[in-house]
Amino acid sequence: MRTISKRALGLAWVMPALVLVGVFVYFPLVENLGFSTLKWDIYSGSQEYVGLENYRDLIDDPVFWSSFGNNVLYAVVSIAFQVFGALVLAALVESIRSERWQRRLRAIYFIPSAISMTVAGLLFYFIYEPNLGPLNHVLQAVGLGRFDHSWLGQETTAMPAIIAMSQWQGFGYSTLLFAVAVQRIPSEIYHAAALDGTGPIRRFLHVTVPLVREMTGLMMMVTISGAFQVFNEVMVMTSGGPDNSSQVLGTWLYRSGFVRNNFGYAAAIATVLFVITLGIAMAQLWVTRRRRVEW
Amino acid sequence: MRPRALTTFAVIAGTSVLTLAGCTGGTPAAKAPAADLTAAPDYSGTLSILTKFAGEPLEPYFQKLAAEYRQAHPGVKVELIQETDQSIKDKTKTLTASNALPDIYFTWTGNWAENFVRGGRAADLTKVIGPGTDWGKTFSQGSLSAFAYDGKYYGIPLYNNGKFMGYDKAAFAKAGIKVPSSFEELIGGCGALRKAGYEPIAFGNKDGWPALHYLQQLFAYNVPSATLQADFKPATAKLDDPGYLTALKQFKTLVDTCTDTKTGTNGVLYTSAQEAFADGKAAMYYQEVLEFDNATAGHRLSEEDFGIFPLPVPQGGAGAPEVLEGAPEGYLVNAASPRAALAIDFMKFVTDTKNAKTLSAPPYGQPSTVIGAVTPETSSKAVYEGIGLVNRAPRLAAWLDTVTVPEVADAWLAGGEALITGGKTPEQVLDSVRQASASAK
Repeated sequence: MRTISKRALGLAWVMPALVLVGVFVYFPLVENLGFSTLKWDIYSGSQEYVGLENYRDLIDDPVFWSSFGNNVLYAVVSIAFQVFGALVLAALVESIRSERWQRRLRAIYFIPSAISMTVAGLLFYFIYEPNLGPLNHVLQAVGLGRFDHSWLGQETTAMPAIIAMSQWQGFGYSTLLFAVAVQRIPSEIYHAAALDGTGPIRRFLHVTVPLVREMTGLMMMVTISGAFQVFNEVMVMTSGGPDNSSQVLGTWLYRSGFVRNNFGYAAAIATVLFVITLGIAMAQLWVTRRRRVEW
Repeated sequence: MRPRALTTFAVIAGTSVLTLAGCTGGTPAAKAPAADLTAAPDYSGTLSILTKFAGEPLEPYFQKLAAEYRQAHPGVKVELIQETDQSIKDKTKTLTASNALPDIYFTWTGNWAENFVRGGRAADLTKVIGPGTDWGKTFSQGSLSAFAYDGKYYGIPLYNNGKFMGYDKAAFAKAGIKVPSSFEELIGGCGALRKAGYEPIAFGNKDGWPALHYLQQLFAYNVPSATLQADFKPATAKLDDPGYLTALKQFKTLVDTCTDTKTGTNGVLYTSAQEAFADGKAAMYYQEVLEFDNATAGHRLSEEDFGIFPLPVPQGGAGAPEVLEGAPEGYLVNAASPRAALAIDFMKFVTDTKNAKTLSAPPYGQPSTVIGAVTPETSSKAVYEGIGLVNRAPRLAAWLDTVTVPEVADAWLAGGEALITGGKTPEQVLDSVRQASASAK
């Protein structure tokens, strides 16, 4: 009897939070799934049930697939830079003997992450600007004027330019997290490895990498998940253009709904995006449970 | 959350979809005004207005009017929601979808306004603003007709607008060229301007729509008017007139010959191009009447050196050379507003002669649609000249991104960008628009 009342009390304590999460997270989620099966005219308010038609349109939509491809490209590059690159950099920073320099470098690398993505996007928009942007001026100054380009104005370079900016912005944050993970590795293990005659590269590969695998797994999942939720930087820098070449799923969703007035179709894209990120979240939970490092 | 719990959630979510889909019947908009428009207004409560005047120098205009109106009617509070040209599109659609439109809201002409009329969101104002009414007589007939659908008048036109090539008279003199009398002459003069040290035409297409403004004017010159009007509506569109390809090629020639950024123009902001012109770096810039006063305010370009001319007509075009691109912009009254009579009273105040003259004068420089508001005394020389040309034009070609349905407008926008970069040929652009139009039927 006492256990039941304790349970009831516990439930009462968590109920406000559950209600809030239910109303503001899960209800809109479920409602969005409903919208994705509708043809919705926001002006007249009429909603016609069309079943899976929006999902069939999605399969035939080349912009949906190019947007998906851009998200994948974003994820691949981000894993290379913000996971593996950041891990190498963190190990390098932590190998510096001077603690003062370690702190300074960590701060230097972290500063870009303190800038909001929208501000960073605007900043890089002006860096990439073909007439006034410093990037083209620098290229000309060092004799590389032939690479002078309208970075955000051409189909071939718009998406790579956005991805490059986001790596600059996110790289320091990942490095900082990896630095914390590297600091947690007992120094005795490194000493023992050094006594066994291993060099710095082998110590990195055989000590650091295995012992930060939990953080690596987590960072990979967070990075991939983030790559599929990209929105701000694309909107600020290109709005998905030119000719939809830099659309990602988030911006194509927005454009389908708010520009093309196709809100049912936009909801279908949102559902696909949700399924992808849900899958990644589940994988993340599985990985972090299975790959716990203890010493 | 554990994976099992997530799976359970997914199942619940899936089931809910089916339930919701079966239940959703939609929330149709109100079909008739909730209040009598001709009734005496009740001077109490809060009147909400969504404007497109966010930012300087326009923002204070409605703020001052709201304060004055409140002073005259202390029981009325005017709640202003001021948005920019870009953000008002999202804001209006969000408010529409959530049935939360304010009492008065901004609109463009064409398909944009038609959607609100068709959906029953805009009050029929014929009785109060129709051509025969006292209030209606204060507006130019063309501006009222721009918001008329099926013989009924829905919009309150606030200011008129048109697109012109602005040019620097000093740059033209330095290059030894005159105002071009044909499109071919315009292109031919770009070399001389470049030799004189100017970018011939400043152009920034980062947002996509500036290209549409060129295209729409060129379509009007090259495609017969009846064909063009039929092609705006997906139900009747064929988009097979050769004039489209001619216009697309002319636009590509202009970008490649007369801009410095050429295929990279999509990476330049519209406002950066505007600055290049105002600072005397570029000789020409295609702009709206609403922007004329910005070009000379606090910039190197003086009011005396600033001249305008309509985009020159290409030789042999099958369209209408007398058509000018432009359209008035105005306001709709929410059909479901319980304060519709008060809304009308407020808009009558906004469009009285005194306030219309204030709107037309610097720093606002928005040429009012009220007859007699734009005079050489109230407006700058360029605005007065531009609006005179707009008023004298036998017909106006409304903006391409508002005159046709959004899917088609978006296809034109993407196509314009692709044409600039060379990613698509004119034929491929037209083909992609045809596909968008077919799927919008």
